[in-house]
Amino acid sequence: MFLEVKGLHVSYGDIEAVSGVDFYLEKGELVSIIGANGAGKTTILNCVMGIIPPKEGAIIFKGKEITGIPDFERARMGIRIVPERSRVFPRLTVYENLLTGFYRIRDREKFSERLSWLYEVFPVLRNRQGQLASTLSGGEQQQLSIARALISNPELLLVDEVSMGLMPKLVDQVFEILKRLNEEHGLTILLVEQNAYASLNISKRAYVLETGTCVLEGDAHELMSNPEVKEVYLGN
Amino acid sequence: MNTFFEQLLNGIAMGSIYALVTLGLTLVYGVMRILHVAHAAVYTVGAYMGLFLYSSTGSLLLAFFGASIGCAILGVGIERFVYFPLMKYPPFVPLIGSIAVMLSIEEIMRLIAGPYILTFPAKLPFPDLSFSGIYVSSTIIAVYSITALILLVLWYISSRTELGLAMRAVSQDISISGAMGINSHLIVSITFVIGSAVAAIAGILVGIYYNQVYPTMGAVPAYKTLALIVVGGLGSVSGGVIASMILGVAETMLIGYANIPFPRDALAFIAMIGVLMWRSEGIMGSSR
Repeated sequence: MFLEVKGLHVSYGDIEAVSGVDFYLEKGELVSIIGANGAGKTTILNCVMGIIPPKEGAIIFKGKEITGIPDFERARMGIRIVPERSRVFPRLTVYENLLTGFYRIRDREKFSERLSWLYEVFPVLRNRQGQLASTLSGGEQQQLSIARALISNPELLLVDEVSMGLMPKLVDQVFEILKRLNEEHGLTILLVEQNAYASLNISKRAYVLETGTCVLEGDAHELMSNPEVKEVYLGN
Repeated sequence: MNTFFEQLLNGIAMGSIYALVTLGLTLVYGVMRILHVAHAAVYTVGAYMGLFLYSSTGSLLLAFFGASIGCAILGVGIERFVYFPLMKYPPFVPLIGSIAVMLSIEEIMRLIAGPYILTFPAKLPFPDLSFSGIYVSSTIIAVYSITALILLVLWYISSRTELGLAMRAVSQDISISGAMGINSHLIVSITFVIGSAVAAIAGILVGIYYNQVYPTMGAVPAYKTLALIVVGGLGSVSGGVIASMILGVAETMLIGYANIPFPRDALAFIAMIGVLMWRSEGIMGSSR
């Protein structure tokens, strides 16, 4: 198994945000975790990245337990995140933000190769490469955040609420890009989304999260026709 | 007229020294969001170490290098053993810790070196210059050259190296920096190394400039540099440097040249109050 999360519990003070979640990803899969605001989706993703520590549970990446390994080492192992609300470095230029995604990987040739590919995928970044990230619009910052996560050619991409604050047209575009990355480049992606329809549509499997526990799991397209999921998350 | 220029040059020298101390404070605030009051104690220790090394070896170069290394170790020690364990508490807790460290170091220096004012009778290897009647001492030339060199090196590191990129990233978003593969705790420690080494150099320069080294020499700079980082904009390196230069010149010119009967050390705080009232993000700060 590529990524396996077992018995994950996370607390903020006395409040338990995630209470015993299990899930896994096979190599090359695109899996999403859907659920309402506050269900604990972002917490799970931050735990896999190592930004916040779990109270209990194990995270296993490529057969190796990484639960106690710090975030920067996980990043160097090939796990990268597109955080909630993009979190680009506001007072670095677009180009410098991309450089942070390539930190300590000293391969100039590979960098320019990846950079020109990402500039092709997100042309707006090329036009604004010398501008401070804080001057970009919300959608542009989101694209920068995705590019920053992809420039190191990661093995596992964690994507947190990428549709939030994007225009509908851009949402489709971004999901199309994620789908292509998965299908054409074989990138393993864990997607966390409130936009259940868009994410289920491109996913292979999915987990439904409710107040810190997983209530449903299975094939994404079967979940889309599940009456309960339809009622609560797809709004019809 | 000559007095005017000589005082102006003195003012810039004073501003340069303020800038060197403020620099460390700004860098530390940037990566840790802590008001590192004890930074001025590191500067005092730097002056003593420099004096000790100079009087025992006669080499100023050794004094500068030795004191920088010693203070770098002291700075990282304060970060690891005082600030790091206190980071999980609200910001006033590490601030109180910092004040405690500041006072402890002052007292330790008093115990080791005695409560006296020691002299620092060093001659810096720079020429005394004279331009059409304006005398410029070798000390002033040394202060200018060393400050310019340090600012240039720091500018280079910050804007042209991967370390500088990591330092800027960590100061803007420490948790996402980690997710980018940056060892942010290491970057914080390196920031303390740089800031503390520069403080040691500033301490030695002040010792030579006034020919005085004493245990409480950091007390006034401690609070004055706090005012300066607020005026410059918290976390803004260029703002801190500019505010320091302006203060050095203003203090010297208003009080030393124009003879306005006004307590010299109050100027920084009046500027701080003004900034807090009318432009709380500081002269170069970005609002966040």
